[in-house]
Amino acid sequence: MPAGTGAVAGGAGTLLLAAAIVGGAYVYDMGAVRVSVKSKSPGGENIRLVLPAAVAPVGMWLAPKEKLREAAEQARPYLPALEVAADELGRGPDFALVEVTNPREKVRIAKEGTHLVIDVDDANEVVHVAVPLNAVRAVAAQLGAIPPAPTGQAEDPSPSEGHTL
Amino acid sequence: MRVKNLPMALGMLLSLAGWALAAETKYIHVKVEDTGPNAETVRINLPLSLAEKVLPAIHTKECDGGKVRVKEARFNDVDLRAILEALRTAPENEFVTVESARSHVRVAKSGGNLLVKVRETKEKDKPETVEVSVPFTVVDALLSGGKDELDVLAGVRALGAIGDTVLVTVNDKDTKVRIWVDSQSSTE
Repeated sequence: MPAGTGAVAGGAGTLLLAAAIVGGAYVYDMGAVRVSVKSKSPGGENIRLVLPAAVAPVGMWLAPKEKLREAAEQARPYLPALEVAADELGRGPDFALVEVTNPREKVRIAKEGTHLVIDVDDANEVVHVAVPLNAVRAVAAQLGAIPPAPTGQAEDPSPSEGHTL
Repeated sequence: MRVKNLPMALGMLLSLAGWALAAETKYIHVKVEDTGPNAETVRINLPLSLAEKVLPAIHTKECDGGKVRVKEARFNDVDLRAILEALRTAPENEFVTVESARSHVRVAKSGGNLLVKVRETKEKDKPETVEVSVPFTVVDALLSGGKDELDVLAGVRALGAIGDTVLVTVNDKDTKVRIWVDSQSSTE
């Protein structure tokens, strides 16, 4: 093999390694989305999923553009708030944001460490979902970056009327 | 000081700083207990610091930069803002007391708070009571915006500056509602 070819191959290898390290660091930084569903019925199925949260923004690229634009239009007024909320939640102590208890089910939405955690315990199953706050912020930022629909196509993002005191 | 003790001292200092920061966080709590046939308890805990950061980031027709637009701050030609302003500047007193066979309504200013107490008795049922106590500093902050808006952000900041306080208590036959502010992250 000529010396020049070896140098090019070495350079490409270094680049690939660097890309893998950067990509790995990004995936690690974004954390993982954990979903667990435990059935209470005898012989029921249990599902356990651990997905790199980095796939959420990537998955948005694959979603139909029009549907995504529609979702972005509806959520746009609240997206900056969602980003700020994700940041702020990440800084503060752990706490339960919402808890609903009735004879049929228990629902809990909480901030635990770097994750937003949703627990549902009902007669049929126990569901646990943990979403990294980083991923929430990344998805909100990505939705916010979608350009608005051309004038005349977008619906009013805040259809409700003002409150009356 | 021995160098080997430095990491431990730093660790303790950081823990104390973290504890102090956490202790400063104030929460607004809402607890709704339904004891009727569809018994249910709902608890909501929201750090005021979170509300303070998030509110300015919301930009809709109704809420912009922490200010909520109200279409009409008047009830049948009663200027609510003018009434609140009059109450704020008035000396501490009992302003309104309405007593009838079934209901008792009291509006007063006491300890720097606007107090509203309503007690209504229905036949055979347990009496229904509503108690609202809002510090005037919060009322002032809420009304510090423009004519047709409530400055909720300023209200949240004012709530953060006051001590632990119960804002609203409602007790009726099947439902209990409590809204309060304190430094606990949970309702229990």
